[in-house]
Amino acid sequence: MSDFTPIPYILDSSVLIDVARGDADLIGFLQDFDRAGHSLIIPSLTAAGALLDSQGLPDAQALLTGLAAFEHTTVAPLDGIPQAAKLAAMVNLMSSTELNSFDAHAAAIADVAICPILTLKASMWAWLSSTLDAPLHIIEIADPDQ
Amino acid sequence: MFLLTGQRHLSMMPSMSGEKKERITITVDPDVARYAEHLVATGKATSVAAVFNDSVAAKRIADQHGLALLRERARSADPERVARMRRHVNLQLAEQGFPAAPGE
Repeated sequence: MSDFTPIPYILDSSVLIDVARGDADLIGFLQDFDRAGHSLIIPSLTAAGALLDSQGLPDAQALLTGLAAFEHTTVAPLDGIPQAAKLAAMVNLMSSTELNSFDAHAAAIADVAICPILTLKASMWAWLSSTLDAPLHIIEIADPDQ
Repeated sequence: MFLLTGQRHLSMMPSMSGEKKERITITVDPDVARYAEHLVATGKATSVAAVFNDSVAAKRIADQHGLALLRERARSADPERVARMRRHVNLQLAEQGFPAAPGE
């Protein structure tokens, strides 16, 4: 019997943007991840940022809708003033980084829930992570051979 | 709160499964309820049950369309590259004290 305990993984804007663009290898990776029982979280504001970046791409919204329909995927809403305040604090911290400001929602969830963030570029998260009381867990989706 | 007593002839869309419809009780936002009743009153829907049935059916179609698109793209993925990405991710997870995906 496996002792595997699924934990949720938060998708940042770099991942959502590439899904919206139809990146086959990334979509294949996430599909396998879901089939393996991993929970994926799509922060709703981060999804909004990905759709903003994907304006003009006809399948962008449908692809993110499909991702949200994966068996183990959840779209995280922004709920209430305390969460809005947490988001505002993250946006303020992130203003001097190359992170997309829509990633503040991913950061806020990760900081509260202690869940790893899946990203295509871990270095973008390094400074923000180092400034928080508890560093974020950043996992880079990359092909080490490329 | 609505008691949805959807009969097959009330829905604007036929049952896709061909099964007899089920009776369920749902709680919805007041403005949504008022709008559903408005659609019925103005003849745009045959019943409140039909409004909710059609809304969920539309969401299901959108979800299935999105999933089909994703699966179509995933069929173009390079399985060896995806496997390398998965190993790379699992290595990082292990380094940070998280469990890897089963079967790795």
